[in-house]
Amino acid sequence: MTTNHTHPDHKHDHKACLELFAKLSEYIDGETDEVTCEAIRAHMEACPCCTTCLETLKRTVGFCEEVGDEPVPPGFSKKLREALSNMP
Amino acid sequence: MERDASRVPEVTDQDTELVTAIQSGAAERFEELVTRYEGKLYNFGLRICKDASDAEDLAQETFINIFRYLKDFRQETKFKNWMYRIATGVCHRMRRRSKYAPERELSLDEFLPADHADIDTELPEWAAMPIRQVLNRELGDHLKASVKELPPQYRLVLVLRDMEGFSTDEAAEILGITPANVKVRLHRARLFLREELKGYFHDNQPHTPRS
Repeated sequence: MTTNHTHPDHKHDHKACLELFAKLSEYIDGETDEVTCEAIRAHMEACPCCTTCLETLKRTVGFCEEVGDEPVPPGFSKKLREALSNMP
Repeated sequence: MERDASRVPEVTDQDTELVTAIQSGAAERFEELVTRYEGKLYNFGLRICKDASDAEDLAQETFINIFRYLKDFRQETKFKNWMYRIATGVCHRMRRRSKYAPERELSLDEFLPADHADIDTELPEWAAMPIRQVLNRELGDHLKASVKELPPQYRLVLVLRDMEGFSTDEAAEILGITPANVKVRLHRARLFLREELKGYFHDNQPHTPRS
């Protein structure tokens, strides 16, 4: 996700970013093992790019969870019950 | 609709009593099941199908199948999981008929920034502010439209996991795929949506010049 020369004070292996990138959703869902979880946590402390990536992904999930339902259209319930009442 | 009343459900939840009663002969209580889930199934249809008319068809066809086959439901899983399995089956059949949204693979590589100039090190406002302050009607509509841009196999996983609230294992059971496969598809679907959201906020919010 990032390169070592992006920030002068940001010295870590770019490969680590790429490896963790594939696991961010599992991390958000609490489905990574403890070792991976700790590795991601430690990496995030050192890498602002990955932190932004993680937080924007978390927020994307948050929006999906919070987006509301639509009311059923007028007449839908009646039509549905009519269809079911015609079942043999 | 009757089945062997002596059979004990293996999984119990808020639907067990009602489903067991219907299976034991209280056919008139099927109405309660419809009332309980018509809104959920319609909204599931809205997220998965091309339009509201298809969403109505999906909900209706799913209830018709539930009505037909409830006697054979052995309660080895939650009723809700079984219902969504039927709904996704209906959805697959509808899609085959309409040729809506062809399948395509999303690769992880397509979500990696091309170079470091693309990477933001500062958290954008839309991810930093409280969610309720950001998520308005327009954004909600944009999000739902973006979900429809996902290839179907990714869309189904994302909707089941992040919008309908099923666990990884439940989504795998509903879709008949492995939990590992659910995780892979979900991650790519989320990355796809995140890109859509980034585009939306880029186009809709005033830019602050970088110092």
